[in-house]
Amino acid sequence: MENSNKLSQFTSLFPSTEIDGLSAMANSARVFLSENDFPTTRLERFKYTRLTKLSNVQFDTSAAEFISDFHKYQICPDAIAIFVVNGHVFLPETKGPTGLIIDDISFAKSLPSSSMKDVFAAMNVLHAQSGVCVQVAKNSVIDSVIEIVHVCTGSYAGFTRNHITIGENAQAKVVMTYVSEQTNECFSHVHTSIEVGKRAHFNLEKVQMESSDLFSFSDEEVWQGADSVFQINTLTLDGNLVRNDLHIQVRGEHAETHLNGMYMLNGQQHVANYTTVDHQVANCESNELYKGIMDDKSIAVFNGKVFVRQDAQKTNAFQSNANVLISDDASVNSKPELEIYADDVKCSHGSTTGQLDDEALFYLRARGISERGATQLLLTAFMSDVLDKITVPSVKEKVFEVINKRFNWELTL
Amino acid sequence: MIKIENLHASIDGKEILKGLNLEVKAGEIHAIMGPNGAGKSTLASVLAGREDYEVTAGSIDFDGTDLLELSTEDRAREGLFLAFQYPVEIPGVSNINFLRTALNEIREYKGQAQISAKEFMAMVREKSAIVELDSKLASRAVNEGFSGGEKKRNEIFQMAMLEPKLAVLDETDSGLDIDALRIVANGVNTLKSDQNATIVITHYQRLLDYIIPDFVHVLYDGRIVMTGTKELALELEEKGYDWIKESIDA
Repeated sequence: MENSNKLSQFTSLFPSTEIDGLSAMANSARVFLSENDFPTTRLERFKYTRLTKLSNVQFDTSAAEFISDFHKYQICPDAIAIFVVNGHVFLPETKGPTGLIIDDISFAKSLPSSSMKDVFAAMNVLHAQSGVCVQVAKNSVIDSVIEIVHVCTGSYAGFTRNHITIGENAQAKVVMTYVSEQTNECFSHVHTSIEVGKRAHFNLEKVQMESSDLFSFSDEEVWQGADSVFQINTLTLDGNLVRNDLHIQVRGEHAETHLNGMYMLNGQQHVANYTTVDHQVANCESNELYKGIMDDKSIAVFNGKVFVRQDAQKTNAFQSNANVLISDDASVNSKPELEIYADDVKCSHGSTTGQLDDEALFYLRARGISERGATQLLLTAFMSDVLDKITVPSVKEKVFEVINKRFNWELTL
Repeated sequence: MIKIENLHASIDGKEILKGLNLEVKAGEIHAIMGPNGAGKSTLASVLAGREDYEVTAGSIDFDGTDLLELSTEDRAREGLFLAFQYPVEIPGVSNINFLRTALNEIREYKGQAQISAKEFMAMVREKSAIVELDSKLASRAVNEGFSGGEKKRNEIFQMAMLEPKLAVLDETDSGLDIDALRIVANGVNTLKSDQNATIVITHYQRLLDYIIPDFVHVLYDGRIVMTGTKELALELEEKGYDWIKESIDA
């Protein structure tokens, strides 16, 4: 297929990558781009996400202004923090604990090859400007939270690539914070590859609170080893068009995977969560819980796939997506999918979308609680099981702070 | 305390209350009895302000205010309490958090300061003892996983916490065994004072052995058709409702 003008125009905005670790993938990325077009809603993966606006925006990839007071965006006060500001990496000034290496991704010799899920994933390989490499050595337990703060300003547009390796038997917690400042239609695509070694424990909190004129795309590609435990909480609190693509390959037996998500939308926000859990071996467990609250004319998309391969006997895989609409104009497209090729497994999935329970609202009001107060109590209750999964207290506080401010609520922990 | 005059109310265009009159004074307990479908629960719902019901005529004066002009929450804040026939389970909302929110919203409405955590917890301990409600239940999610008896005790516990002027108990005895019934009745009796009043809505006389009413009213076809003392309840228990139906319909 001939590459359309739209796609070549868009890619021409971005300079070529100088990250050596990506060179091995460059060829397949180029092939993918030559065979694919700028996504339209005819494409299954973009069925509900219109990108026409994105292709028409005049991004200014060179003149993104520099800000110096980005440290204020760090959520966890005691974290070892790394900042990626308009594609510039700022590493921690002090040396971290033994067993932890944090570096600019330009120094990575090789990076795991990623799948070309869509044209943006392919563009990331060819155009990533910067990123962070976090390595936790075998048997190391990192007590401090590691926080990677992505900041966009002005009319920045660019690709970022991160890589995280958690060695065998190691343990770490990472918070990935996404913020923006004085933006005028930004585009940011962040790809993070994550290798979780045997018996390793890794927890990732992804906190998205970019402004309402930002196109924010981010993918995580995860490989899990035997007996490992991986949890990711994707918390989408703001943004214009937000697309999360999470792909987890479970490659070692007795691994545990937890993927949770929460999205709180209003205005004309569009948030899409695409997840894939690929069970390749036997005796593993995955739990997926995504919950959303939608106001105004916001749109949410949830597409969760669970593959259970032929060899993945005794897999336990559970998936659930629940949504509460608090306006008549909000909408949800929810599609949970199970593909099972093994015959001795326990899998379930479910999706619900509804409004707040009128009976419960009346009961609370009959005790003297205002309609507003009752609504907030019920919404907090609805979200509570996802909120309980958040392992970093300052992240939880931030979630409440942002939600209360945006929705003019007074929710409490 | 409350004066209901010529109350007409309907749901989905169907008239259920057809000119109901009732006056309850402070310090009194009134029982409202009647056959199924007479409008007992409709009366409770209309008093609490359930929006499904439309009041087409009549007035309700609640201690000097026009009750029908108030929202559900303002009725509660003015001191009206409805013990639900079917208390709602609310997963994820703790009983304690819910009650503290309610208490503080009522206080704010009255221009009073918020209750301190210490004062609140002391109150919870004191009031839960009145209905022998395990303090563990007080901290669980509202009614979730509660037995029928626990749910009704939780209603009376909430009533004790909120100290209403007028409590309306809607079929509080339904589904209770005799022990739970005694506990609930004892709670209601303990909370009784000459400042407050209670309306007990029930189908059966049994509850009235434990909560002694000053007046018993018979509600039939949307109106109070007979008023007497506790002896009337015994008579109804013995003879059923048919003789009333016959005398009215005739």
